[in-house]
Amino acid sequence: MLTIRNLHVSVEGRGILKGLTLEVRPGEVHALMGPNGAGKSTLAAVLAGREGYEVTEGEILFEGQNLLELSPEERSHAGIFLAFQYPVEIPGVSMIQFLRAALNAHRAAKGLDPLDTAELMALLKEKAALLKLDPAFLSRSVNEGFSGGERKRAEIFQMAVLGPKLCILDETDSGLDIDALKVVSEAVNALRSPARSFLIITHYYRILQHIRPDVVHILADGRIVRSGGAELAVELEEKGYEPLLAAV
Amino acid sequence: MMASPVETTLLSIEAGAQHLMEILRGQASAAGLPPKLRAEWQALAQRADLLSLFTEQRLKEDWKYTPVEFFRRQWVLGQLREAMADFPVVGSWPFAQQVPPSEDLPALRSLPKPTSPWEVLLASAPAHAHYVVHKQERVLLQPAVAEGLVPLFVTVSVAPHAEAEVWLLPSVQGFLLLRLHIDVGTGGRVRFFYPTDIGEGHLYGIFTAEVAQEARIETYDMTVSALWKRSEMKVRLAGPGAAAYLHGASRIPSRHCVDQAIRIEHAAPHTESNQLFKSLVYAEGRSAFQGRIYVHREGQKTNAYQSHKALLWERSAVAYSRPQLEIFADDVRCTHGVTTGFVQGHMLEYLRVRGMPEAQARQLLAGAFLAEVLGKVPYSALTDELYRRMGFAWD
Ligand SMILES: Nc1ncnc2c1ncn2[C@@H]1O[C@H](COP(=O)(O)OP(=O)(O)OP(=O)(O)O)[C@@H](O)[C@H]1O
Ligand SMILES: [Mg+2]
Repeated sequence: MLTIRNLHVSVEGRGILKGLTLEVRPGEVHALMGPNGAGKSTLAAVLAGREGYEVTEGEILFEGQNLLELSPEERSHAGIFLAFQYPVEIPGVSMIQFLRAALNAHRAAKGLDPLDTAELMALLKEKAALLKLDPAFLSRSVNEGFSGGERKRAEIFQMAVLGPKLCILDETDSGLDIDALKVVSEAVNALRSPARSFLIITHYYRILQHIRPDVVHILADGRIVRSGGAELAVELEEKGYEPLLAAV
Repeated sequence: MMASPVETTLLSIEAGAQHLMEILRGQASAAGLPPKLRAEWQALAQRADLLSLFTEQRLKEDWKYTPVEFFRRQWVLGQLREAMADFPVVGSWPFAQQVPPSEDLPALRSLPKPTSPWEVLLASAPAHAHYVVHKQERVLLQPAVAEGLVPLFVTVSVAPHAEAEVWLLPSVQGFLLLRLHIDVGTGGRVRFFYPTDIGEGHLYGIFTAEVAQEARIETYDMTVSALWKRSEMKVRLAGPGAAAYLHGASRIPSRHCVDQAIRIEHAAPHTESNQLFKSLVYAEGRSAFQGRIYVHREGQKTNAYQSHKALLWERSAVAYSRPQLEIFADDVRCTHGVTTGFVQGHMLEYLRVRGMPEAQARQLLAGAFLAEVLGKVPYSALTDELYRRMGFAWD
């Protein structure tokens, strides 16, 4: 599904990713861990097509297509979803307006007619229930005045509504309380399917106890320095990065 | 179509001002005013220094930021027509009664002395209409100007404890020059709706209101399009507990200008005012906003707030915002906020990452920007219509 080869990315002239290679197959769940500033969010941003990141070398293929040629909206239409580490507030745009516009843009890209209001509301309510969100939140402005945890939950709600193929979760677990983490994890598990893949960026083993990853990668200094099974996350949890990175 | 003359006859601004003054002065019958006022105003209109007043005024602070290209056209006097409103007029209140002019009309008693040459000339305009609201009535004004310059003078007297809605729905292809004064009696309520979608038309409205004890006025000055629109709103909160809530949402496309000059006078204790204005300015559009809060010595315990926010679509969009506070009482709360900025890149990016094409994402943000004000319109049918005309989806 996703093939990244020898990816080099700089931000404001400074090299951040330095030859990253990664393969994610359909249905797989990959966890991406690594110290602060390693470049995890940078990778997520480059995949989503955010501005300010310069790819200086390497390639990214998504379902065989050159991802780097696509605009952010085209990537979204192609099935890439980024749950932001810091979701953005959009005052004056209700969650309903926002998701209607997003969904209909996806549908338009596939040559489908817009959803009617009844269909839209049914879908939104179903997914809100999956995330145990009060339907009243649909009328609120996007992320405005949401608590840190509510924002993260709202990101996964959006993901459930848009039904992407590749879900990138950038520290979605940070800021969630224990119950919320369970709710979000269950929602993610409910969305797992043979056709859908996940890239879960996290600092903590905790979320991986709920969402069992197929592969765990450690990103350090712009490269994946180790990959392994879920046991790698356990090892990290126990020993920290130092001994692991020293061994590289 | 525009009835104005072709480019070759453009005047200098000075000559244009003189021409404007002369055609307005030629109209100065003041026939719609009671005798005493008529004599006063006619004399004013003949003042020798009127032209210099025009010229001086243009240089003053509150005209500095508005283009006055219209002065350069050789306007002819147009005909006032009545047109059906093409905005939804909501509610089922009966129409207010139109009455003959009389010295006893509250709105003619509280009519402020003219402070500009425009007001002088307008007071003596031939078309005057006076309305009285006794209980719960609506004044529906639908002036239509197909071509040329048309002056119009309207007063509304709202009886104590009465409720009025004033709907002003201009349709203008030339230049409508409008003077409206509203007197709100003790405990009265007024809502003034002023949606404007006049394309390439010119519209200059001078609005004043005198608000008595415990009375309240709300205004909704909403612009979809107008080549040049200037709204002067002067509200005097004359009695204790009087309140004014002013709203403005302007969409300003290329080459258009919306200019708002607000003055709220707190002339009595425990008065309250709030101004909430937003301007969405597209490439080469211009927004000018001046909001003055003036608190008299008598205005203790005044509570006044003013906000103007401009969203600039592109570098070539222009917005001037000048909040002004003049406070002569010591126990007051007055605050103001002005912001001017461009579409926020991180919001745009968030929307695009969710699949919205850039143009659509921008539209959504533009609509959201004005939503704060449009959402305050008490009739959703009017809000929806404004949204539709502005080209925003709304639900
Ligand atoms: N827009 C930017 N401008 C300047 N520097 C940036 C920008 N984005 C990222 N960086 C820098 O790139 C490096 C990698 O940042 P990134 O956010 O990808 O790290 P991360 O692995 O996600 O860290 P964390 O675990 O703290 O979220 C950091 O040193 C960061 O300061
Ligand atoms: Mg990060």
